[in-house]
Amino acid sequence: MVTAQRNTNMHSIPNQPSSNKTSSRDLTVESEQEGNPALIEVDNLSFSYDMGKTDTLKHINLDIPENKVTAFIGPSGCGKSTLLRCFNRMNDTIPTAKITGGGIKIMGSDLYASRVDSILLRKHVGMVFQKSNPFPKSIYENVAFGLRIAGERNRSTIDHAVEESLKGAALWDEVKDRLKEPALELSGGQQQRLCIARTIAVQPSVILMDEPCSALDPIATAVIEELITKLREDYTVVIVTHNMQQATRVSDRTAFFYLGELIEYDLTSKLFTNPSIKQTEEYISGRFG
Amino acid sequence: MLDLKHTLGDFEDSLRNTRKSVLTMASFAQQNLGSAVNGLLQRNEDLCNDAIAEDEEVNGLERSIDQGGMEILMRFNPVATDLRMVVAAMKISTNLERIADQAVNIARRSRKILKKGHVAETALVGPIYEIASGILHDAIKSFSEDDPALALTLFERDVELDKLHKRAIKKYTSLMEEDTENLRTYLNLIFIVKCLERVGDHAKNIGEDAIYVSEGTDIRHIGPSALEEDEE
Repeated sequence: MVTAQRNTNMHSIPNQPSSNKTSSRDLTVESEQEGNPALIEVDNLSFSYDMGKTDTLKHINLDIPENKVTAFIGPSGCGKSTLLRCFNRMNDTIPTAKITGGGIKIMGSDLYASRVDSILLRKHVGMVFQKSNPFPKSIYENVAFGLRIAGERNRSTIDHAVEESLKGAALWDEVKDRLKEPALELSGGQQQRLCIARTIAVQPSVILMDEPCSALDPIATAVIEELITKLREDYTVVIVTHNMQQATRVSDRTAFFYLGELIEYDLTSKLFTNPSIKQTEEYISGRFG
Repeated sequence: MLDLKHTLGDFEDSLRNTRKSVLTMASFAQQNLGSAVNGLLQRNEDLCNDAIAEDEEVNGLERSIDQGGMEILMRFNPVATDLRMVVAAMKISTNLERIADQAVNIARRSRKILKKGHVAETALVGPIYEIASGILHDAIKSFSEDDPALALTLFERDVELDKLHKRAIKKYTSLMEEDTENLRTYLNLIFIVKCLERVGDHAKNIGEDAIYVSEGTDIRHIGPSALEEDEE
């Protein structure tokens, strides 16, 4: 098995050696190799849920570029959600979970340094979950919640942030006349966009999405996908998805994981037309998993 | 080629049927081309008529391959090798249809020639056909057997075909001046060798598609050097 190696050039994605045939490079995307600088740097990361007895993630090396959408794909249990949850230290809530090797830097800072406040970190690295989880409050209060927690008291500042966040989440036009109504009365797709609005209200650098459309109908999914491509302009998005077509539609780069290892990481256009690793091809073309 | 089968049996079957249809179509195109040229060389009008009549089969297969390819794209959203195979199959079928059209053109010209007296220089068509049909045969083989190395040999052979084609045209043009009684025959022979030169071009296109399926590299308009660049 070939493990993806960190490229010393932080501005480009790793080039994978071919497993079974001539190594090839897609000439049509050559210009895209000049990517944005890495915002998240995963350096030889190993992670365990059972105090180091078994590693769920094994020696992961990965640079996630700024203002791009990066998709994590792989069969269930491959570690993609685990890695996503490492990015905002959500795994800290599990007593037996620990990093067993390597580390993660976001904007050059060590994410797991003892001085890092995980609550503050989550303001910078927001997360949207598989199932929408609005608070049992009004639409307005859901979006304002993060700002209030951060100590914002100025009403007009909060009003402005709520409006901008709802606009950013493509929800404003649908809810602007009923901001005081309960969030739980919104449809599933609207609730998910409300959660995205709540996430961007605190102006994070990174938005993590763990299968954000898996519980939505095709129209609501299309709206969220359209939103993801717009969010890229202001945020770095990392999305876990089981939907290959969704990864091809919304992401710039795709990482394929299997049994806790990063098998291949490349431009999405390259990975889905001419993957370098046979195992990647077998998975994305539906031959296992 | 991948060892594992698709989880979806329908997908696997559709891909297999598409490949099979391309190979059937290729077999018809090769046969029609052979009938047309042999009709000329053996002065057998029935063979020429066969090449014209069988073209309908080829046209039908082109439609069927395109329809099957569209259905695969719509139903299964193929990626990687599967995607390249479906796209290549649709493009190869277009080239095969054009090759069969060239066979029809050759057959029609040959029938006209057969109505006139025999000219010895008709034999010049033989070696040109041998190279063109050899290129076509190996282009199809490189696709069916996933053999990009074989496809790479087609480029030099197509250059050789172009040389023979130019030489034959020069010869026929000079004969048109010397032997004006058979002017129409020489003119038809020029059209026939031109058709065979086009067959070589279409066969080379098929070889390029075979390389695209195997290697994922589009070498059209660049040539084999595109593969070398990829290896760097």
